[in-house]
Amino acid sequence: MIPFTVIGGYLGAGKTTLLNELLRNANGRKLALLINDFGEINIDALLIESREDNRINLSNGCICCTLSDGFHAAIESLTEAAPDQIIVEASGVADVHTLAQYGHSPQLQLDGVIVLADAETVRIKSKDKFVGRTIQRQLAAADIIVANKMDLLDKATQAEVISWLETHYPAAVICPAINGQVPLHLVMGVHLVDKAATTDSGHAHFTRWSWQQPAGVGVEDLQQFLAHLPPEVLRLKGTLSQPDGTRVIQVVGQRQEIRSAPEITAEGLTLVAIGVEGQLECAQLDQAAGRFFKPDP
Amino acid sequence: MITIYQAAKVITMNPSNPEATHVAVRDGIILGAGSLQELAGWGDYELDTSFSDKVILPGFVEAHAHLMAGGMMLLPYMGYFDRVRGDGSVAPGIKSYEALINALKAEERKLSDPHEPLVAVGFDPIYFPDEARLSRHHLDQVSATRPIYVHHASGHLSTVNSAMLAANNVTRDLQVDGLGRDADGELDGELREPPAMSLCRTGFSVVQKINNTDQAVIEFGAQACNAGITTCTDLGGVSLLVPKTLDMWRKHTDREDFPVRVAQYNLGIMPGDSGDCESFADGLLGLRQYETEKLRFPGVKFILDGSIQGFSALLNEPGYFSGSDHGQLLVVPDQLKDMLKSFHTRGINIHMHCNGNLTQELAIDAVDKLLREAPWFNHRHTLTHAQLTTQAQLRKMARLGLCANFFSNHLWYWGDQHYNITVGPERANQLEPCASALREGVSFAVHSDAGVTPLGSLHTMWCAVNRVTPSGRVLGEYEKISAYEALKAVTINAAFQMHLDDEIGSIEAGKKADFAILEEDPLAVDPMHIRDIRVWGTVLAGRKFEAASAT
Repeated sequence: MIPFTVIGGYLGAGKTTLLNELLRNANGRKLALLINDFGEINIDALLIESREDNRINLSNGCICCTLSDGFHAAIESLTEAAPDQIIVEASGVADVHTLAQYGHSPQLQLDGVIVLADAETVRIKSKDKFVGRTIQRQLAAADIIVANKMDLLDKATQAEVISWLETHYPAAVICPAINGQVPLHLVMGVHLVDKAATTDSGHAHFTRWSWQQPAGVGVEDLQQFLAHLPPEVLRLKGTLSQPDGTRVIQVVGQRQEIRSAPEITAEGLTLVAIGVEGQLECAQLDQAAGRFFKPDP
Repeated sequence: MITIYQAAKVITMNPSNPEATHVAVRDGIILGAGSLQELAGWGDYELDTSFSDKVILPGFVEAHAHLMAGGMMLLPYMGYFDRVRGDGSVAPGIKSYEALINALKAEERKLSDPHEPLVAVGFDPIYFPDEARLSRHHLDQVSATRPIYVHHASGHLSTVNSAMLAANNVTRDLQVDGLGRDADGELDGELREPPAMSLCRTGFSVVQKINNTDQAVIEFGAQACNAGITTCTDLGGVSLLVPKTLDMWRKHTDREDFPVRVAQYNLGIMPGDSGDCESFADGLLGLRQYETEKLRFPGVKFILDGSIQGFSALLNEPGYFSGSDHGQLLVVPDQLKDMLKSFHTRGINIHMHCNGNLTQELAIDAVDKLLREAPWFNHRHTLTHAQLTTQAQLRKMARLGLCANFFSNHLWYWGDQHYNITVGPERANQLEPCASALREGVSFAVHSDAGVTPLGSLHTMWCAVNRVTPSGRVLGEYEKISAYEALKAVTINAAFQMHLDDEIGSIEAGKKADFAILEEDPLAVDPMHIRDIRVWGTVLAGRKFEAASAT
C-alpha cells in the first residue's frame, strides 16, 4: 500500500513552494510527485539528476512525473517504481475529489487531501464567476485546508477567515500557515518510524503526541478513542495487533479509517498524532488514551 | 496532363464564378471552372465524363473532428444512432436494452479466446430516460464468464459485467467514489470517472489504446472519404512532438491512396505537460518543416470546459434548466491570456473548445486582452462548439476577428434533450446561432466533432439548415440558414478559420483539385433531403476516391 496524497488549491495558494519544500526535505523518503499542472515544474535545478520522457529523476531518489499519458498510466508506472509516497499536485482548477479517488485503488492508500487556500483572497475567489464553484468544490473535498499567507492579514481578519472556512467546510480541519510555509508534516503525514525525525526544515510549529501499549487493546476500544478524538488532531497514524491480524489506523482531518493489514507485523498499540503547536493539548490525548486503553486487569 | 471533368453542375463556392459545367485539372491543381470551350484553351486534355450526371463541389472541409472517429469504430458500436464504418457497413443504432444485449451477444460469439474481454463503445444513457441505469445485471445476461466493458459515449462512464469486475479484483470493499452500488452497497457495475473506470483496466486500457494506431488512421481516412471530406482536422491531436506519433501520421498521409488531407491541431495544454508554453509553441512551429501535401499543422487547440449534456460546461446566468451544475473549467482563467500569447505571437492559429457561454466569455476576454498587447489582425482564432453563444458575444467576436465553429450536429443528436433538460426552450432555440453569426458578421463553420457524432458534412449542413430534432421539433426558426450559407460553412469558411482558404475550400484556378462528388445538388433539393444525398466519393489532388459501399 503506497500512501497517496493529493495537494490542491487555486493559483497563488502556494502549491509550487510547497512541492519544492517537500523535495528538499524528503530526508531519505522516496517521494513520487505527479504534476497535474501546466507550466514549468520549477524544480531546483541542483536536484535534477536525469530526465526521461515524462519523468525527472532527482539526486535524492525522488521522482517527478507528468501526466501527458493520463493519470492511470502515470500511476501504473509510478507504482512499479515503488516509492514511499505518491504526492499529486492537482492543477489549480482540478476536481480534487475525483483525483483523490485514485487513492482508493488496490495498491494505494489515500493518505489525505490537502487543499491550500490563499487566506487573503479565498473568500472573494470562492465567489468568482469563472472559478468560484471550482474553488468551493476543492475546499469541500479537503481533509485539511491550509489557510496560507495568514501573515498578510491583521488579527481580526485572520479570525474571520478561519471562522468562514470552518463554517463553510465543516468536514475539514483548518490549519493556518504563515509566510507561505506550509507545514510539511501535514503533507508527509506522520510516520511510525520517522525517517524525517532528525530535521524539520525550520517548521517546528507542531506538537507531536505518541502512545504505546504492549497489549490489552481491542478494536472497539480504539473506535471509542477515535470517536472522542479532539478536533485539534490534524493527523494520526497507528498500528494495532489483534489475534486475527494487524489493523492500521489512519486519521486525516475528520476522516478516520481502521483497516485490516495482515501483512504488517505489529506489537500492541502504537499511535502517533500531530497538531498545531499551542492548539493540540497532549494532556487531553493522554487522558483519553488512559480512559479507553485500559491495561489488562 | 490535363483532365477536364464534365459534371451535371459544378458548384464552385467562388462567388465570382459560382457555377460551371466543367473543371480542368493539371497535376492536382485546378486550372479553372467553366464551359468545355473556355477550358479547352489550356491545351491537350482528356475529357472525363464519369461525373457527367453528378454534381461537383469543393471537397468538404471538416474543421472539428478527432482521430477517435476512426479508433472507436474499430470496436463494437452500441450508440443510439446508426453509424457507417469506413468499409461502408452500417453499425445499427441501439434503441433498447434488449437490442443492446442482443448486439453484445452477437459480438461475444465472434471472440474465440474465452478470456478476451468484450469492449464496446458509444452507449449513451441519455436516450433511455425510462429505463433503469444500465448495470452488471443487464450485461450478465450477455455472458456470465466473459468480461464485458461498455464504454459510454460521454467518455466519463462505463458499465461492466460481473466477470469484468471479478477479472480485475474489483470488490465491494474498495472505497473509490465512482463505483456504482445498489441499495445493499453491492457493486452494480457502473463505473463513473476514470479513477473508477481504470479499476477495470482490462477494459479501460483497450479504449485508451485504440486511437493512436495505424488501423485508427486508416479507418479515419476511409470515413472521411465516404462523407465527401477532402480535408479533415484532428483537432486536439496528442504527442505530435513525439517522433513516433509524427512518423505514424507521415507514413499514412504520404501514401498515394490515403484519401484525405489531415490538418493537425495538437493540444496546447495537457494536464501534466512539462515545459512552458513558449518552448511548446516553438515545437509546434518546428513541426511545420515536416508538412507534406496531405499533412498540415495550422494551429493549436485548447479545451476550456466540459459538455452541455454532461452538465460540465460553464453556463452564464441563469445556468442549467434542470439537473445539477458540474461546470468544470480545464484552464486557470488567470493564466489563459498568457498561455495563448506564446502561440499568438508566433502566428499560430488557436482553436478553443468552449461549450458553455461563460467559458466563451472567458475566451473572448482573453483574446481581447491579448490583442491589446500583441496585435495580429489576421489571427482567425476560433471558438469551437460555441453552442450557446449569445448575441452580445457575437458582437464582440465580430469586432475581435474571432471565428466560430458551431456544433450544428447537436441540434439533431441532443436537441430534444437540450430543450427538455439541459438549457430549456429559449436557449435551446438559440443553440448553434448560425443566422445570428451571419447577421453580426462572424465567419463561421459547422462541424461534427467526430467521433462524438459521425463524420458527414451533408448531415452537418442539414442540421444548420433545418434545425430539426428526432421528435420533429424545429429548434429555433430564426437561426436557420440557407443551404448555400451552410455549404460555405463546410467548405470555404472551414478552410478560412484554418488559414487554408487560399488552397482549399472552393473550386478556383490555382487551388488544389479537391472535390466532393454528389449524386444530387444540395442547393436545389428539398432542404430536408440534403443529408440523404448519396456521396459518390471524392477527388483529391486530381485522384479519384470512390466511397465504400457495403455489399
